[in-house]
Amino acid sequence: MASVSFRNVWKKYAGDVVAVRELNIEVADKEFLVLVGPSGCGKSTSLRMLAGLEEISEGEILIGDRVVNNVAPKDRDIAMVFQSYALYPHMTVYENMAFGLRLRKTPKQVIDQRVREVGKSLGIEQLLDRKPRQLSGGQRQRVAVGRAIVREPAVFLMDEPLSNLDAKLRVEARAFISKLHQRLGTTFIYVTHDQVEAMTMGTRIAVMSAGELQQIDTPQNLYDNPVNIFVAGFIGSPSMNFFDNCRLLEEGGKLFVDARIFRLPVPQKRYEKYRPHVGSDVVLGIRPENIHDSHFTPPGIEPASIEANVDVVEQMGHEKVIYLEESGKTFIARLDPRTTAVVGQRIPIVIDLASMHLFDKKTEKALE
Amino acid sequence: MSAIRFRVLPRAFPQSLNESQKRSREKWLTIAFLVAPGMAIFLIFLLLPIFQSGYYSLFKWNGFGFPKDFRGIDNYLDLAKDKVFLGSIAHSFTIMSLSLLVQLPLALALALLVGRGSLPGRQIFRAILFVPYIFSEVITALIWLYVLHPNSGLMNKTLGVFVQDFKPITWLGDRNIALIAIFMVLTWKFFGFHMILYMAGLQSIPKDLEEAGRIDGCNEMQVLRFITLPLMGSTIRLTIFLSVLGSFQQFTLVWIMTQGGPVDSTATIATFLFKYGIQRFALGFGSAVAVILFLLTLVFSIGYQRMVMRQDYELRV
Repeated sequence: MASVSFRNVWKKYAGDVVAVRELNIEVADKEFLVLVGPSGCGKSTSLRMLAGLEEISEGEILIGDRVVNNVAPKDRDIAMVFQSYALYPHMTVYENMAFGLRLRKTPKQVIDQRVREVGKSLGIEQLLDRKPRQLSGGQRQRVAVGRAIVREPAVFLMDEPLSNLDAKLRVEARAFISKLHQRLGTTFIYVTHDQVEAMTMGTRIAVMSAGELQQIDTPQNLYDNPVNIFVAGFIGSPSMNFFDNCRLLEEGGKLFVDARIFRLPVPQKRYEKYRPHVGSDVVLGIRPENIHDSHFTPPGIEPASIEANVDVVEQMGHEKVIYLEESGKTFIARLDPRTTAVVGQRIPIVIDLASMHLFDKKTEKALE
Repeated sequence: MSAIRFRVLPRAFPQSLNESQKRSREKWLTIAFLVAPGMAIFLIFLLLPIFQSGYYSLFKWNGFGFPKDFRGIDNYLDLAKDKVFLGSIAHSFTIMSLSLLVQLPLALALALLVGRGSLPGRQIFRAILFVPYIFSEVITALIWLYVLHPNSGLMNKTLGVFVQDFKPITWLGDRNIALIAIFMVLTWKFFGFHMILYMAGLQSIPKDLEEAGRIDGCNEMQVLRFITLPLMGSTIRLTIFLSVLGSFQQFTLVWIMTQGGPVDSTATIATFLFKYGIQRFALGFGSAVAVILFLLTLVFSIGYQRMVMRQDYELRV
């Protein structure tokens, strides 16, 4: 059990390429932190620095109270599940799982007991004599997890461990890893590019982009209060709709967002917060799930009605994803499945003003 | 309904059988047509000479006219008593053993050093180390004849600089060290080849596996021992195979440098064959040597592939 700290950590490569810029993260003991971001954002590099597989250019990484910058990976008391699983192909499942313990000179009986216990708990006890090549993707993934947990490390590192699974298995594996975290009560640091994995598994999520930490918070707070356009667009699927070229106006003691194609009143609650920005250019963000068919408007929202043309209708069963178009601007809505919208039709829609997001156009930061 | 079924089935079945037979015949004809030229070359230039050698080895024959003087297995019995021949087998085995014990580990060590990692200028080293393999064996032999020359050779001159009271060594003229000198040259010439194979093998090992090993608790030596080397098993087994066969068949370098001398102290099976079979017009006797060399390599090849390399032919994921 241990906490993990990144303190002003930089990773620079030759030729002044910065992979990670001044990273500061405090991960509490027993926390499940997800590092999420698009390819090349520095999340894997950060994890690899923590694992000791990459050198730290500047700053400090601590596991517990110990600075591990110069500690060999084997002495960091960590275990890692790789994207490729990295199972040793020349060893059986049993040997793969026992390898770490054997290197630590754990008595044979203890190794045997631990491997069989973990094997049983992961449902792979019947595979112990097989070689990795004889296993399916899902089984390999479990073996990789088994190899990590059998050593009872202080911190678990997972580098996109679900990317090689098909969609159905991935959903199962998500729940499996979440349960595992609850059962083991160990610190988990999990890297993924998939925001759904991040939202469903993390107790906190650190969103990274271009080597920089954008925001770190609980999944709900990230979703509700993204600090900038990047986070707002990254978290949520389909992504938040952004309306550029908006202006914040004040008329008769009320604030309005003029998006040119429509004009929306700003909830009175935010009057004080947004008032200093009156007259400035802003970006309006509205999540697809906050746009409703006017016939199926949920209760408790702050509605504003507009009209738009239906471009595409995607039938999902539990909802309809509709691509709407208004004066050349396309945006997406997740509507009630009972909606009768058809392509080419002009439909009345309702926007939930309470869920609107406003960002400064220049800085791309959320208006404070 | 049943009537229809009975009418249709008996007709349809032989028809489809005929078609599949026809297809199969066409397929085999195509294969035969494409394989025939290669097969003809194989039969005429490889298989036939092997059987011819076997046949000639039963005669006392000087290579002129047809062999007439049938001697049965006399040539083989003579060989079994021939000390020079037995010595040449021993030399071939010595070269083979030294190759396995010195040449391959050296090639592996260098492959690990220059094949990856952060050694500065490793690409230049890699190129330099591979250069000897590019030279033909004749060129190599000539270069080393100069290098090992007792009076003006680079080797003695260099040793003279570093060793006090150094007496020039007659590298290729001393019965006790000529074979070692030959082996040294063979190593210089061939380690680059094995090094390249090892480097290819190293590149096929996913980096993840070694990293997983480091996290699992390995130090660098343990990564090498438990992960890298076992995963290079197929490459190592292949280089052992090639090295053993190469050692048995070694001729050119030895012949140019020493012609098997002094006093047959560097004779290999192949130089023995050439010297005592071809040069002395004893082609029946020489054929017997060829047959023994062939059988030695054949038995080793089949045995090694069956027992050791079998696992490498299995499907691997």
